[in-house]
Amino acid sequence: MSSLPVRAAVVATGQTDHGRRLDASMAEIAREAIDRCLESCGLQFDDIDAVVAGNMEMFEGIYLVDQYFVGALGALGKPLYKLNTGGTVGASAALACYHLVASGRHRRVLGVGFQKQSEGSTQSAITTVGDPVWERAVMAGAIGNFASMASTYIAESGVTQEQAAKVAVKARRYACLNPHAHLKLPDITVEQVLESEMLAFPIHRLDFCPSSDGACAIVVAAEDLAGDLVEHPAWVHAVATAHDQQYMGDSPKRLAVMRSLQAAAKKAYGLAGIEHPLRDFDVAEIYEPASYAELALYENLSFCEMGDGGRLIDEGATLMDGQLPVNPSGGVLSTNPVGATAMIRVAEAAMQVMGQAGEHQIPDVRRALATGYGGNAWTDIMILSRERPRASAEVSTE
Amino acid sequence: MPGTTTDTWIIGLGEAPTAVTRDDVSITELAWEAVQPALAQAGTTLQQIEGAITASQDFWDGRTISSMSVNEVVGGTLGSEAKVASDACLALGYALSRIEDGDQHLNIVLAHAKESQGDVHTIELAAFDPYFERPLDPDETVVAAFQAQLLYAQGVFTPEHSARVVAAARARSTVLAAVTPEQVLESALTCDPLHELDRAPLVDAASALVISDGDTARRLQRTGVRLVAAASRTGAYWNQRSSTLHDAEPAHAAALDALAVAGWQASELDAIEINAPYAHQHLMVGQALGLGDGEELVARFEGHGDGPTLNASGGWLAGSAGSVAGLHSVVAVLERLRDSGGRALVHATSGLASQSHHVVLLEVTA
Repeated sequence: MSSLPVRAAVVATGQTDHGRRLDASMAEIAREAIDRCLESCGLQFDDIDAVVAGNMEMFEGIYLVDQYFVGALGALGKPLYKLNTGGTVGASAALACYHLVASGRHRRVLGVGFQKQSEGSTQSAITTVGDPVWERAVMAGAIGNFASMASTYIAESGVTQEQAAKVAVKARRYACLNPHAHLKLPDITVEQVLESEMLAFPIHRLDFCPSSDGACAIVVAAEDLAGDLVEHPAWVHAVATAHDQQYMGDSPKRLAVMRSLQAAAKKAYGLAGIEHPLRDFDVAEIYEPASYAELALYENLSFCEMGDGGRLIDEGATLMDGQLPVNPSGGVLSTNPVGATAMIRVAEAAMQVMGQAGEHQIPDVRRALATGYGGNAWTDIMILSRERPRASAEVSTE
Repeated sequence: MPGTTTDTWIIGLGEAPTAVTRDDVSITELAWEAVQPALAQAGTTLQQIEGAITASQDFWDGRTISSMSVNEVVGGTLGSEAKVASDACLALGYALSRIEDGDQHLNIVLAHAKESQGDVHTIELAAFDPYFERPLDPDETVVAAFQAQLLYAQGVFTPEHSARVVAAARARSTVLAAVTPEQVLESALTCDPLHELDRAPLVDAASALVISDGDTARRLQRTGVRLVAAASRTGAYWNQRSSTLHDAEPAHAAALDALAVAGWQASELDAIEINAPYAHQHLMVGQALGLGDGEELVARFEGHGDGPTLNASGGWLAGSAGSVAGLHSVVAVLERLRDSGGRALVHATSGLASQSHHVVLLEVTA
């Protein structure tokens, strides 16, 4: 644990209206989010010192996509960092924005995550995540991967399909409160989820995230600027990253036991002084590509004991009026433009802290959790707070 | 705004043996060949490493999240790793921020590429506008040729100058055979005015650094090399600079950013390494950095001009790979300055027609 020279905060966010965006190119999608982000805090491109881009370029098949879109990203003449870390990439980019500011190297950094899945072949690209010799021949994109993990999770924890379906219902109903969300189903029921097409046991179509086009942008600013840009900056109190091993077979209980998530959470909680997550956080925006994943995340983020994720949703603890509202934005189950998805988690957590979440605002949010998840069980965590850290020495990272 | 740094150290260097084809190892093994000696030189172990920043490209590896192949060998299992999809000099800049903000005290910077496994034309074609350009089936050599034509049309440089830059690099190579300027000019014309030997051959390569904060470097008694500054500037996409494609102004701007942070003058540099995949781009960058024009600049690459020899370590043209080249030069220049000490500038470029330019400054105490 060591002190940071500069405290930093998320001071602005911007999102596209996510969905199937046949009206806009990839560049226009990215720019839509950036423009909304900068407009919200009154900054111009000239005010930005550096840009961090997150996108999975094999999905749309554009090599060096950051260079191609340098104009749309507002990065001409600036340092442009392109991160490429899978589903996590939006969060990895957000963390990079934070580090570039906290280090004193830059004072205002723009982060942008974007993806236009309707122009690509995401599942084909995801299949290449697997080792080309040992895994790729039996890979079938993200759904098969989550199906095998969810099956193990059911066996290990006793979670039921009905409990998972409740997560799917929660997400799509809350999405109706979020003007940016893709999949809005106000009347969805548990029965409809269970009766929806079985993609790969136990994943029904409504248990899984949609394929979205969209972008998200944030600005991270140094402590001496943050208060001038927004009334309530979302101060970064901790960040952490952890991975699991390369091969699925190295951690066969992945999802039931999310070792990387546990490791990252342990670090981040320790640094931010989180002792009882269910009590200490006011809201959480977590990366749940499948309904089962959210229940597993409850357990592995220590919202409850291992095996108790189903109980938490049964009791309503993670509903908007519960003890710890989880994904009031509708989450990944409602919106998934992959390069932006994890940045949306950070942005939504920041919006809650800044009091800018509109109809899905949770009252009196002081502290929020955001997580990203991707291939190799890649996990990024960011903890944001309304409270400005009292002294640099109290703000630490892994 | 450029960054600042005062107390970050490079305490270990490592490289895998570079070859046109390393079909004896996987990407993971290639990376480990670079990481292992870097750890040994740093006097540390993978268990002590707090994080890693890697550089590679999904397209070249044919794998979404290409760093999945390597994060076990950089301490990423239940630890932290992030991948920058660019030249490793940009990754080094990000790693620097992770040290400077106290996030990590000891980390690894790794770059890796097995270009022998990639289909170069298919990959490079994917960097072009999918609607208006790809139907013409271009690749990076096509735009590099446009660039070279514009450069030569200025009347300052000629194809012979580029050929001499190649010959100077290959004379210092431990990987590639020496060639004469005449052989470069007589090699196959790939796209007028570029010849086959104008381009750095594709190779398999990996380079690694262990970097640390000052307290850790002093504890390990490895305070010989300071990472003084890192800066980067991004130019316009190639088709937005049709009349200025030969202009490497972002290289100049990045160098000025870095020198300002360091408080150094360009005249104080003891070593300068320029990295680009095509020979003529070295002339563009050298000119933009104010290192000379025409014959004067070429003489510096050949080692008989005023000031320190340019690319005394050989650089990309002497055998390195995309993503790796900048870090390879860092390793090479630090090894070369180990006994004499001195100040070094390492430049690298990425993107079509050298769109982005990255600069790091290093100080070696003998």
